[in-house]
Amino acid sequence: MRLRVCHFNAGAIAAVFVALVSAQASAEDKIIKIGGLLPMSGPGSYFGAQDKQGIELALEEINRVGIAGYKFEVKYEDSSCSPLPATQAAKRLLDQYKPDIVIGEECSDATLAIMPLMAQAKVPLLNAGSSSIRITEPGNPWTFRIMPNEVMQGVDIATHAYSRLNARAAVLLYENTNAGIGNAKVFNETFTKLGGKILADIGFGRDINDFTSIATRIAGVGKIDVIPTYTLEGQGLKITQALAQAGATKGGGGQAIQLGTIWLPFGFEQKAGKAAVGYIRIVQFDPTDQRPLVRNFIDAFKAKYNQEPTHLHAHAYDQIALIADTVKRGAKDADSIRARLAATKTFSGVTGSVEFDKTNQNDKMDTVHYMETLPDLSWRALKWN
Amino acid sequence: MAVVLQQAINGVVLGGLYVLVALGLTLIYGVLVQINFAHADIVTLGAFSAYFFMQSLGGGYIEAIAVAFVVGGMLGWAMNAAIFAPLRAGGNELLPLIATIGVSITMENAMLAWFGPIPYAFDSPYSNDVIRLGAAYITVQNALIVAVSLLTIGLVYVFIKFTFLGKALRAVSQDRETAGLMGINPDQLVMLTFVIASALAGMAGAMLGPVLVLTPFAGTSVIVKAFAIVIIGGFGNFGGTILAGLLVGLIESYTTQYLGPGMIDIVVFVLMLLMLAVRPTGLIAEKRDENV
Repeated sequence: MRLRVCHFNAGAIAAVFVALVSAQASAEDKIIKIGGLLPMSGPGSYFGAQDKQGIELALEEINRVGIAGYKFEVKYEDSSCSPLPATQAAKRLLDQYKPDIVIGEECSDATLAIMPLMAQAKVPLLNAGSSSIRITEPGNPWTFRIMPNEVMQGVDIATHAYSRLNARAAVLLYENTNAGIGNAKVFNETFTKLGGKILADIGFGRDINDFTSIATRIAGVGKIDVIPTYTLEGQGLKITQALAQAGATKGGGGQAIQLGTIWLPFGFEQKAGKAAVGYIRIVQFDPTDQRPLVRNFIDAFKAKYNQEPTHLHAHAYDQIALIADTVKRGAKDADSIRARLAATKTFSGVTGSVEFDKTNQNDKMDTVHYMETLPDLSWRALKWN
Repeated sequence: MAVVLQQAINGVVLGGLYVLVALGLTLIYGVLVQINFAHADIVTLGAFSAYFFMQSLGGGYIEAIAVAFVVGGMLGWAMNAAIFAPLRAGGNELLPLIATIGVSITMENAMLAWFGPIPYAFDSPYSNDVIRLGAAYITVQNALIVAVSLLTIGLVYVFIKFTFLGKALRAVSQDRETAGLMGINPDQLVMLTFVIASALAGMAGAMLGPVLVLTPFAGTSVIVKAFAIVIIGGFGNFGGTILAGLLVGLIESYTTQYLGPGMIDIVVFVLMLLMLAVRPTGLIAEKRDENV
């Protein structure tokens, strides 16, 4: 009898052990696979480098305990901020890694190129950094965007320039890409409709190095109030310095205020130096935001990387947090993640809040923060939104 | 009128900048009849050498230019000794050309790994000092580029025309085998060409660093124009390269002013195609044996 009891106990223990092991194995197997299509090479590679830091911090925090029994992992592919390498990277991810969701790209041209592949594979794409209106218009059930699109940004910047800065004359400077052309077009339409005038409309390729000639041309067009500029960081630096040297902008003793976008990372002002004084630009993350969520993010980021987080770190962090939020709401695979993303109503991230409209565009404007560069190259939050 | 004058100044500066990069390319082509695709990456490494010499060691900008010159020269020596010379010894002319592509990609990615993708702010002490002459202006850095370009052109010209080594280089470029029979060691002179061309590229990097967007891809963005200049000027033609460099610089400035910067590449490369079609010997037509 005792033996039988012992057998029963041993059997029960074995059964419990097996159950525990299998449960643990099952828990370990429950992974949400995230593909990261980020520019790791080329002129936009600073996006990828910073995005990755934000993603890694979010993964570290979320994977300490997991969400609803799920852990999260990210496989990165270099999409190079350009359509062809982006589609190749997307195919590799979809064929080999078979992700539940993909985050990226940062550059609109690359994002537009990978969208059809995601739709075909029925894998949701969560975008945080591309602004082209074509990404969410007329609507794609598999693509979601956290960041305000070029129309939302362009209308907002043009309206503030006209009403708050009393700007009446502008020169448009933009790279010849989908995003550059699109952003400039929206500014142009809004600003002229309000009564402003565009004195020059200057697009340029990413291979332009010396902006002295462009600055000379701008300095010669007459009195300018604002110069909306849509370009990546490297060219942005040289443009700002060239405009100051030509005496066109406030940083060079002129009148014009340069207006910039979220394309530029934090630290831009320190690199551009005094030429950046008076520069007003929008960022997707306000480091002076006092919400506990933001303060905790900043503290954790500084502890991990010994540096201040930028808006690129922040929006990449939010992408992972939003995916985790869908899992918390019951998502477990590509289809259910897509459904939960579409139903997102009250997500609050470090960049701001998220609620997708019928085109899967986040329609909240609290992710747009206006900052002005002061003479000591620090920032002043303008609190325009 | 002020704008026309200012764009002329901008064009000369830009031309000087291109000439600095294109001189090394044309030297190597003149002697070896070989295109060096890794030239752009030596320019980039020269810029980074100067940057880190100033930032990490506290060196001055003029000394940094010298450092970049030496680093470029050493790199040219190492590349030729380790890769190009053994491949040339094999007798296949295509292999060294392909190897320069391999070296270029390797260097670019190595620099990406070491220096990262985020643009560096390489300001020389002269970047923000502006000399104003009435309505026209030039930064001291740009004036320095023009001065260094002129000095370099003069020194290279004197070296090639009047020194023994320069004459030997010309002899090798004209007929390598005959030069060898005359007691000249062609391999050593090829090595010298690589060292000089790479040193010039390194120095160009230090000059360009404060002007360009300094990333591991900085040189690549200039090299395409430099190739166009070498073709327009006539491959291996020293005077043609200088003339073409200035021409392209001026074309860029005036195209920006009157047509828009988006038209620059169209204008420059249409000119290059026209030269290839109409005058393939380049702006200054010389017999091949007079090049370099």
